[in-house]
Amino acid sequence: MRLGLVLLVLLIVVLIIAGMLGAERLPLTGWTEQQRSILLDIRIPRILLGACVGASLAVAGAGLQALLRNPLAEPYLLGVSNGAALGTMVGFVLFQNVEAARPVLAFAGAVAATIVVYRMAKSRAGMSAERLVLSGVIVTTFLSSVIVMLTTLLDAARLRSFTFWLLGDLSQSSSTGIWISGVTVAIVTVVLTSQARSLNLMMIGERDALDFGVEVGRVRLLVFGGASLVVGAAVAASGSVGYVGLIVPHLVRLSIGSDNRLVVPFSAVAGAIFVVLADTIARTAIAPRELPVGAVTALVGAPLFIYLLRRN
Amino acid sequence: MLFALAAGCRTAPTGTQKALRTVTDDLGRHVSVPVRIDRIVSLAPSVTENVFAVGAGDRLVGVTTFCNYPEQAQAIAKVGDTMNPNMETIVALKPDVVLVSTASQIEAFTKTLEANGIALFVTDPVGLPGVYKSLGDLGDIFGTTEQANRAIAQLKARESSLPVRCTTGDGLSDDSRALPPIRVFVQISREPLFTIGKQSFLNGVLNEACGRSVTDAVETAFPKLSKETAAALNPEVIILSDSEDNREPNDSFRSSPAVKNGRVYRINADIISRPGPRLVDALEQIAKDLHPESFKDK
Repeated sequence: MRLGLVLLVLLIVVLIIAGMLGAERLPLTGWTEQQRSILLDIRIPRILLGACVGASLAVAGAGLQALLRNPLAEPYLLGVSNGAALGTMVGFVLFQNVEAARPVLAFAGAVAATIVVYRMAKSRAGMSAERLVLSGVIVTTFLSSVIVMLTTLLDAARLRSFTFWLLGDLSQSSSTGIWISGVTVAIVTVVLTSQARSLNLMMIGERDALDFGVEVGRVRLLVFGGASLVVGAAVAASGSVGYVGLIVPHLVRLSIGSDNRLVVPFSAVAGAIFVVLADTIARTAIAPRELPVGAVTALVGAPLFIYLLRRN
Repeated sequence: MLFALAAGCRTAPTGTQKALRTVTDDLGRHVSVPVRIDRIVSLAPSVTENVFAVGAGDRLVGVTTFCNYPEQAQAIAKVGDTMNPNMETIVALKPDVVLVSTASQIEAFTKTLEANGIALFVTDPVGLPGVYKSLGDLGDIFGTTEQANRAIAQLKARESSLPVRCTTGDGLSDDSRALPPIRVFVQISREPLFTIGKQSFLNGVLNEACGRSVTDAVETAFPKLSKETAAALNPEVIILSDSEDNREPNDSFRSSPAVKNGRVYRINADIISRPGPRLVDALEQIAKDLHPESFKDK
């Protein structure tokens, strides 16, 4: 519990630091009209969206890892993110001016990818970790090819914005995106936390969980559905930011153990911290130019993950 | 220019032997090309425009899917796009020379093309001076020097008759028509926000039109710009490279003088992005947009 408090304080500190840093240097008080607009219309919305996206991806990762009893289960590796990305692209192409179409189609894409991966991974003998990861890889690469094909078919000017967006980019934050992603992640975090006890029992084994009266089917539906929802909303707003769903729950489990009643909500907060920090680097490292945030999370995430794997 | 008759040195796939000579391209490579070039493949829209400008357009047998100007270019066989040309299609067209604008695909290209006896010539013009040089080079290798010189002279005449002008393409200042430069933001894409940076050839065009890019100190040719920086730039004029997703200025310019005074202009993306003869059109339009008062009595 104390760690929870520490994490919350840390989140607030990180949000404040992120608010103070940016391509433009702003004084602490006495802003001009323009500086006020930079802070309120550009910087703060972007930071808030980063926090929502980070929380979304981390909570989805924590839920999927517990449900599938697989530490590699992660929205990106399982193809859920790519499903959402493809859905968003379809939204871009077919309903260009309807912003709300993107999260809806992203959600549909995420759900479809999840169902396919789950069906492929499940055999009569149950679901092995290898089979699941393999299915995820197959679906991910298949969807990547479809996305590459679509970008090739779109004309050159739009190609540039898509390739940037595909890597994860928070620069296109809109209040709609923040609201959709924020409300979704808040609800899903509460729902998944409410299922944490059942998830704990299911981690021992689904049969044991059934003996304890856990409605395994319902839990599965809630976790898959919840993960698809948050990932859909996050990807529609910011593209595919990788590694967050993998690393953050791992870090959380390393520090507090694997009780999902804590892992799920703590992952949400830690994910927000991770992405806001990564995006602060993306915004400032080569200012006035920008890096895509997904490149930063991958650059930090991949070595960190290798380190964690080797240490355990 | 070196002329080298090298009959017998190499065999063209058709079995016919052509007289060759050596020319130097924009990368400083010495390229053997046939003295008489009948079949040309162009791998860039700007190069296609330049080939037509020197009067060799009727010899083009293959162009990219983006080569939409002049109109005759649309009827020519397509060989893919600049970044993904189809090698088989190119070889099957039996060109004497393939013209490319970038060095990116050179290595893989040269090997296959040379194995098939096809020359590869790089022409990568930067700004108006580069366009003139490219037109001259193309005129030389196609034997249409006269037409190339006429085209260059016409373009130069239009350039020098601008009613407002700060520097010529050669970097000389022309005081009689110079006006204080207008601060311009060139928006390449609205979301994500891309603009022109230090390495863009458009800086020269803007400067000549008595303007100055507010992002001319930012690294690279087409940087993705922080919206915070954009909001603080306060450009007097915004020029949009007109394309489907770039019809309005980015929201971060809401309070800029350009938006407040309605000084946002659209210029056809093809015209300002291609270093070809129409770059003079871009120069004229930019000069007019930046200094409309100088064009009043015209």
